[in-house]
Amino acid sequence: MRCAYACGSADHGWSRRQFLTGLTASGTLGLFGGGFAGMIHPAAAKELASAQKRVLLIWLNGGVSQLETWDPKPGTNTGGPFRAIPTSVPGIHISELLPHTARQMHHLALVRSINTQENNHAKGAYIMHTGRREQPGMEYPHLGSVMAKLLTAPDNPLPGYIHITPRGDSGFGKQDAAFLGPRYASVTLADGKPPANFSRPEALTDEADQRRNQLRDRLSQRFAQRRRTAETEAYSQSYEQAAQLIARKSIFDLSQESPRDLERYGTHDFGRHCLLARRLLEHGITFVKVSHTNYDTHYDNFDFHLEQLGEFDRTFATLVEDLHQRGLLSSTLVLVMSEFGRTPTINRNYGRDHWGSAWSVALGGCGIQGGAVVGKTNANGTAVVDRMVHGGHLFHTYFRALGLNPHKNHYHNQQPIPMADPTASAIEEVLA
Amino acid sequence: MKPAFSPALDPRFVLSLIVASWAWPIRAEEPLHEQIDRLIAAGDPEFERKAAPLASDAEFLRRVYLDLVGTIPSAEEARAFLADSSPDKRARLIDDLLARPEHARHLQHVFDALWLERRPDRGVPRGQWQQYLFEAFRSNKPWDQLVRELLAPDLKDPKIQAAAKFYLDRDAEPHQMTSDVSRLFLGMNLQCAQCHDHPVVDDYTQDSYYGIYAFLSRSYVHRPRGSNSSMLAEKAEGEVTYQSVFDPKKVTKSAGPRLPGGELLKEPKFEKGQEYEPAKGNAAPVPKFSRREQLAVLLASRDNAAFKRASANRFWALLMGRGLVHPVDLDHSNNPASHPELLDLLANRFADIRFDIRAFLRELALSRTYQRSSELPVGVDESARETFAVANLKPLSPEQLAFAVMQATGWTDVERKSAKDPNVLYGRLAANMAPFVAAFGTRPGQPIDGSYEATLDQALFVAHGKLLATWLAPHPGGNLTFRLGQRTDPREVAEELFLSVLTRWPSDEERKEVVQYLQDRSGDRVAALQELTWALLASTEFRFNH
Repeated sequence: MRCAYACGSADHGWSRRQFLTGLTASGTLGLFGGGFAGMIHPAAAKELASAQKRVLLIWLNGGVSQLETWDPKPGTNTGGPFRAIPTSVPGIHISELLPHTARQMHHLALVRSINTQENNHAKGAYIMHTGRREQPGMEYPHLGSVMAKLLTAPDNPLPGYIHITPRGDSGFGKQDAAFLGPRYASVTLADGKPPANFSRPEALTDEADQRRNQLRDRLSQRFAQRRRTAETEAYSQSYEQAAQLIARKSIFDLSQESPRDLERYGTHDFGRHCLLARRLLEHGITFVKVSHTNYDTHYDNFDFHLEQLGEFDRTFATLVEDLHQRGLLSSTLVLVMSEFGRTPTINRNYGRDHWGSAWSVALGGCGIQGGAVVGKTNANGTAVVDRMVHGGHLFHTYFRALGLNPHKNHYHNQQPIPMADPTASAIEEVLA
Repeated sequence: MKPAFSPALDPRFVLSLIVASWAWPIRAEEPLHEQIDRLIAAGDPEFERKAAPLASDAEFLRRVYLDLVGTIPSAEEARAFLADSSPDKRARLIDDLLARPEHARHLQHVFDALWLERRPDRGVPRGQWQQYLFEAFRSNKPWDQLVRELLAPDLKDPKIQAAAKFYLDRDAEPHQMTSDVSRLFLGMNLQCAQCHDHPVVDDYTQDSYYGIYAFLSRSYVHRPRGSNSSMLAEKAEGEVTYQSVFDPKKVTKSAGPRLPGGELLKEPKFEKGQEYEPAKGNAAPVPKFSRREQLAVLLASRDNAAFKRASANRFWALLMGRGLVHPVDLDHSNNPASHPELLDLLANRFADIRFDIRAFLRELALSRTYQRSSELPVGVDESARETFAVANLKPLSPEQLAFAVMQATGWTDVERKSAKDPNVLYGRLAANMAPFVAAFGTRPGQPIDGSYEATLDQALFVAHGKLLATWLAPHPGGNLTFRLGQRTDPREVAEELFLSVLTRWPSDEERKEVVQYLQDRSGDRVAALQELTWALLASTEFRFNH
């Protein structure tokens, strides 16, 4: 059953699995109270209040190994030392490095047949963020900027695209919005900290700030009486937006989350960053990207994946479960990806190298058929043997999962620019 | 002693009266700025009803400063101009501004951003490029010559080799160069035609794209061994083929060098092994016949109608806030100019005066069209701006904004005290442009035209940024809030404040507001003066050139 108003994921309707296994939140017995109103799942009720859709992108920087995650090949010459374990979906096995994630498998779908033909970090990242190969003379906007534009309500004062990075500088001005313009560029929260300009200088009191803004506004109103244009309006609104952001600054404040939650997510950086991601998504940020680094394991691939995925697994599984419990998963598309995978061949340093020709990504939440697995690699993972797809197909799929039409155009200076690669199409099998 | 001027007896005057009575068919004597006004008025049957009156002196003053020297006038300059009652003061000011080195600096900023699109440095140090542009505009280098230098930089002449930066910062990538050369110098955005004929614009075909591409596809960046410098180089061979992504049969076509609508370039044939000049040192070999050089000669020429139109339209848009062809990079038959006859006239006249930029800008600025108010007359809607009956609002570029804020806050005056040499002063002030470019500029590689956006981070930069706070704090070097602090009469404070920041006198209402504000905040006058100044700086009136 699909609801016309929602994105069509299992959480909206009444999933047989939820009914049978009692995975749903409390209160579902109300279903039997009779009448249509009773049919509405609590999560869907929340959804009705807020029709906004969101995206969570977990970026495993450097290129996570598909063999140590979504497409294990134990017992083969390429498989490495780790076993495969069963998941909450019968028949699907993933690496034993992801025991917590395995229990969330019914919320996730896997695409195991990605071939981007790209082994360069920057170029691979470009493909996975834009759904296109790099093309001279044309810069495409990143998924986060596209979704910030398409999914954020015009009156939402919050930035549409937040990127939480392990380190670096917080701030604005990223290039990822390309021709969509800076409004849709990512705001970087380095180590989760908002940019310095988010805070009012201490010397300026709340009252003084309001007073000077009232005068600014009066002057602007007077000026606009016979000179009002879309541009002058937008300028005045940017100050309104700033004021509203300041008023809601606490949504960036992780200290307002409980110590218990912090414990559940893990006190390491990635744990804190994912808890912040939950907080941001809950408070109306459209697109949150969390980067976890570093998976570029040319040396000691297995030790490093054991360590890195040890952080990733519990935190990610906790986040997925929380989004589900809070009724957000049905309207939040969840993506786990990298710039590429890693070579099946194990090099002499026990490492795996860059590998764009047969690897996997995981998707979940809004519009995604939980438990779906699409595509196949051969026995030792050296080639895709079924349903080969590339970044363009994935990009179409994200649009469809979010209920958007990937065949529409952006318009830049009146020039039509297809939102998704017109030569590709969605991976229907993972769509709910 | 000369006799007093007596118009009635002056034979020139009598003659001009005679001419005037026959003036309609005889237009040779009609100055360009008057022809502009006549053709603008003729473009709309309801022009008289819609047309805004001439801008007030204050409105004109702020506008012409921003347009010609890239900043606002000081309070002192504003006072002097507003008090001047001579009828030719606007014309004199235009000439005065055009002759200032700041005019060349302003055009340097405009075309640096327009041409390089804020890309990171890849070749030619930025300082050399900026100096090259500054010298070009300072010496009023003819526009066609400047464009030729960009398109085919003479790498042997140290004075102009910095022009190679246009290509080098694009890594001499042929598609990037093709797309940008056609957009910036021909007013044709052929981006779509890289992969197929333009879906909406009939004129923009894939073969016009690849005709330009063929001029540029042989160019590349040469990095001499043992040196980290980048040099522009060119091969003597390499032919161009392409397919349309829409063509199911995938037919491969070939393209020779050809401007849109022009003839195929005739090329000399060389024997194998004879295509290059003898090699010198570790420099790249130089072909005997350069397609790139031919592009420069053919494109930036008065015989190229597209170039003339795009050039005239570019400078028109710079002053008028909107192209006659709008957007400026979509010149094609389905998007005609708002005033076709005027665009033809301007294109030809610009060529006739040998592409003299300063003379051309002067005529534009002298026109009533330029000098009209931006206030919509009662009962007239916004479309009147599209036909230039009412002046357009222009958002300040990041560079204009930086210099205008520094002038308004008096920071320019503070710096001037310790930097007597104008180049030193410019260097100090220009160092403050970067944070404005970061907040208000487009991202690297994005076209500048039509890129205005008002964003959250800009508002936060103005509201909370350290830079503005520094300039707003009273400085004993004599910045604005320091000067205001020394005045005791709140009405004088209001006048100095408005003149310094908004280049006009306050209205009675605004005077009262300032007086009231200072009264309400009498406990902290220092802070109050900064708040008042901030409110004016952050107002829409300051953000736009109106």
